[in-house]
Amino acid sequence: MSTGFVARLRIGSERWDALSVITETLDISPEAFEAGTGWQIKPEGACKGEVCVPLPDGWSAAYAADRLGMAVVHDDSGLTAFGPESLNGRALVTAQAPKVVLPDLDGNDFDLASLRGKKVVLVAWAPY
Amino acid sequence: MSDPEASRPFIEAANPEHPSLLDPLHQLDSLFGVVNIPNVIWIDEEGMIVRPPEPGWPPGDGYPDWLRGFVDERAAAAEKKAAEIEATDPEMAAKIRGGQDHASYADAIRDWADKGADSEFALRPDEVIATSQDRPVDKSEGAAHFELANRLWSTDRDAAIVHFNAAHRLDPENWTYKRQAWSLVGNEKAGGGEMGRFNQGPLPGEEDEWPFEGTFTSEAGRTPAGDYYPKTL
Repeated sequence: MSTGFVARLRIGSERWDALSVITETLDISPEAFEAGTGWQIKPEGACKGEVCVPLPDGWSAAYAADRLGMAVVHDDSGLTAFGPESLNGRALVTAQAPKVVLPDLDGNDFDLASLRGKKVVLVAWAPY
Repeated sequence: MSDPEASRPFIEAANPEHPSLLDPLHQLDSLFGVVNIPNVIWIDEEGMIVRPPEPGWPPGDGYPDWLRGFVDERAAAAEKKAAEIEATDPEMAAKIRGGQDHASYADAIRDWADKGADSEFALRPDEVIATSQDRPVDKSEGAAHFELANRLWSTDRDAAIVHFNAAHRLDPENWTYKRQAWSLVGNEKAGGGEMGRFNQGPLPGEEDEWPFEGTFTSEAGRTPAGDYYPKTL
């Protein structure tokens, strides 16, 4: 089972390290919060791209989620999921591409940032 | 559906030169605002998004023969319906006929490849943000439910279904939430195999057992093209 924000999922016969915003505890470190949500916790507050949201009351994941407009949903199983931010009423608060690390078919992580210096067309599709 | 084996046959048949990745947690939805497939995102050399997620297709008609007939039938039916509605509700008629133009999408990409930031299709950062998917806090809640649904699918089916239905109710414009759920159940009902995942509704006679409020036919089938694949170019 997962702890914190970085979850190991079993998909088929493979194990994937995957970013997840599902957690068994709300006692999440700033580093884990960043790994799961892409928001980096700095002295200025929670930051993504050029946007920083101050956290005057200090650090807690629930407080940061509230400041960022992230919904928090609990399941009876003990899992809690954080939704993405809804700060400005849009999916994007910045045009800077977020950190994206996803596995290929063989389970090897690929970092989108490795394509910096090239134009990228990212196509989302599904086998259905 | 998120297993590598579901996608492997298509990727290996295409034998692309570009990377092909898996997104089992639907991070592209949360990170960018992907709401349907296919959705396409453009990112420039400096890592700036220049077009947020939108419907997009490769050049030419990529439909396999077995799907071609269905696509043509739907297009003909949509045109007929739009013609009938034209006199009373031209706006709705345009929506039924409209939506993103398949044929010109690849040309737009080529224009950007040639001209970079000077391309009419490359958006400024403020335009990228403003044209990204709207996200009131309800949709954030829907996303959280969707993640729980996927996580619980193999361990607590009943809880997963509750979360899927909540996600659909809170974010009715996110078609990936619906298509994922419909395919997961439909695939099982149809017995899996190559075509199982395209079964996105109950088998005849089993309507009472379908755990969702809609199906592909009832929802996407009656949604105007202008709403299902909105025109952005």
